[in-house]
Amino acid sequence: MNEALFSQLSTLGSSVVLLFGLILLWRRSLHAYTDAFQWQSAVLAAMFVMIGYFGHDPELYFVAVFFFVLKVLILPHYLERMEKRFGGERESQPYVNVATSLILAGLLVLLAYAVTRPLVLVSALPTRGGLPLAMGLVFVGLFVVITRKKALTQIVGFLVMENGIALLAVLGTFGIPLIVELGVFLDVLMGFLVMQVFVYHIHGTFESIDVDQLNELRH
Amino acid sequence: MTFFLLLLPPVFAALLAFVIRPYRPFVGWVNALLSLVSLGAALAFAAQAIAGGAAPTWGLALGSLGLVDVLRADSLSALLLVCVTAVASLTLFLSPGLGRPVNRPHWGELAYGPEQLRRYHVFINLFIAAMLLAVSANNVGVMWIAVEATTVFSAFIIPLKLNRASIEASWKYILIGSVGIALAFAGTVLGYFDFVSLSGRAENALNWTVLLATAPALHPEVMRLAFVFLLVGYGTKAGIAPMHTWKPDAYGESPAPLTALMSSALFAVAMYAILRWKVVADATLGGDYTNNLLIALGLLSLVVAAFSVVLATNYKRMLAYSSIEHTGLMCLGFALGPLGTFAALLHLVNHTAAKSLMFFLVDNIEHKYRSPLIADTRGLLKALPWTGALFAFTLLMLIGLPPGGIFVSEFALFRAGFALNHPWLMGVALALLAVVFVSFINHLNRMLYGAPTEGVVAGETGGWRTALLFLCVIVLVTLGLTLPAPLLTLLNQSVEIIAK
Repeated sequence: MNEALFSQLSTLGSSVVLLFGLILLWRRSLHAYTDAFQWQSAVLAAMFVMIGYFGHDPELYFVAVFFFVLKVLILPHYLERMEKRFGGERESQPYVNVATSLILAGLLVLLAYAVTRPLVLVSALPTRGGLPLAMGLVFVGLFVVITRKKALTQIVGFLVMENGIALLAVLGTFGIPLIVELGVFLDVLMGFLVMQVFVYHIHGTFESIDVDQLNELRH
Repeated sequence: MTFFLLLLPPVFAALLAFVIRPYRPFVGWVNALLSLVSLGAALAFAAQAIAGGAAPTWGLALGSLGLVDVLRADSLSALLLVCVTAVASLTLFLSPGLGRPVNRPHWGELAYGPEQLRRYHVFINLFIAAMLLAVSANNVGVMWIAVEATTVFSAFIIPLKLNRASIEASWKYILIGSVGIALAFAGTVLGYFDFVSLSGRAENALNWTVLLATAPALHPEVMRLAFVFLLVGYGTKAGIAPMHTWKPDAYGESPAPLTALMSSALFAVAMYAILRWKVVADATLGGDYTNNLLIALGLLSLVVAAFSVVLATNYKRMLAYSSIEHTGLMCLGFALGPLGTFAALLHLVNHTAAKSLMFFLVDNIEHKYRSPLIADTRGLLKALPWTGALFAFTLLMLIGLPPGGIFVSEFALFRAGFALNHPWLMGVALALLAVVFVSFINHLNRMLYGAPTEGVVAGETGGWRTALLFLCVIVLVTLGLTLPAPLLTLLNQSVEIIAK
């Protein structure tokens, strides 16, 4: 009974995480994106705790705490500061419009199911049902980075992609070794800080955070 | 112990640069001397590898943290460590901020202020430390962390001069690089997942020695997916087409020392990451799958590079496309069995030396002419006799003329390809190389001869730096004419690791 509950909870959690990711394609305001990312990370941290409990792995509790502090508190704080400065700009004309984006997202999730079939077949863990959803989130994050024009949206898309990979790791392996996990957090934090610095530079030099304007460097 | 001598000097150098405020020239000199310590440690590892015996490792037995044997320096690592530390030392000696007072223009108008110099020295040393960690890590997770760290640290230095072009270049670099690295992490996770599904969780499962030992039993379908992610991910850092689009921009806008490091050392580190995983994937899948992928991407890189060089108008971007061409060649080489792998490794070593030299020479040229455009650079032999001659000579070697080492490695590569019955593939590759060859000679001709562009004062201004570059060119020629026995042993041992 426990195992069935565990399995259902992990699939439910992965679905919720993916749905928050789809908000990036549906809504257009930068505020919605940062909110979606924050909620998604909170649900993901809760999933770490749940998997730690059912999977009898106390290390995951540490990881959940670090994850929560980094992705629900620290990163959204910086994102909100940026969004206050540049938030007036909305993702008004992405390269792919909203309706098409959502359809493509559905296709990407189908693709994720196809791609992760061997993984689900090979794994014996009760959490394997959520693996396609995690891969779907990675594809959706990648799609956001490619098709959105505002630098801030691209950053959130990248962070969502990282969330997808973290979900993939925890569903498939109950967590990668702790030292690597800590290093990954550090890298994500540093990467984010660098990107944040650049968004300020872009705004300062180009008077907008529209990456469409970054088109001087041709052949 | 030697690991400390390898990894700690650049960290100390960065700390020193951070602490000394405002920047003083002695910081630059101390950094350069510290890099020689790393170089010594790398040579010690190489000597140890050549002498044979088990590879030295280092780790902390801290319970379940997974740090046992986290660092390991076998022959392949030692080869790359020597390459990276050699280029790093050269870069630090030729960095801005050494020697002249910071308020006098250095090599022309592109002077850097004390704050910029401080930032440069902090991050370039952290960048070097991250590269050294990536190459000496036994744990593929730690290797990933170090490669991501290189992206972050180098992104701080690309826009040393803040202008529209450099901001655009760094934004593309950091975004494409981070996305690529994230995909490489997904691949690492999938590889670990494969292991866990087979043997359950283990603390040292991410050590590549452990992965290699279990590789024959890992699941092929999962490994196929993992390798695709890894090749795309680390290939983005290496600049393999179609993930190469950040390269011309980043190389065009960065300060020359950083470009020299990125084009030679960082590129070698990315190829190293792909190679380590290729060994594991080949043990699981047999060689064909990874070889086919590498051939496809390698050929695509050659095509992209060949046609881009024809259209090039900016000599720094032209050299970036040349890097992409050599990346393609190396991918082809690594897909051609032991013979090809030997050729590709030799190519890696020679390319590292030649490319870094090219960018330092180009820096001289850009400072003199104040423009990166080929059309604006005329009469090079009259304006900068020594630099112009060295530039021409190194460029000719870079496109594969004897007596350069690149000629030897390309020859070996094509010989391997023909030996393994790939005549059409080698024919196409040769044709593309010929296109690059002709375009380069064409561009070189326009730059070398004639009267210097108006407003350019003739005469060398590099001083001892140009002399140092001249010495390096001599070393490159020596490597080409003779393959020293220790290098040969190291290469052979590395080939054994990669392709039995």
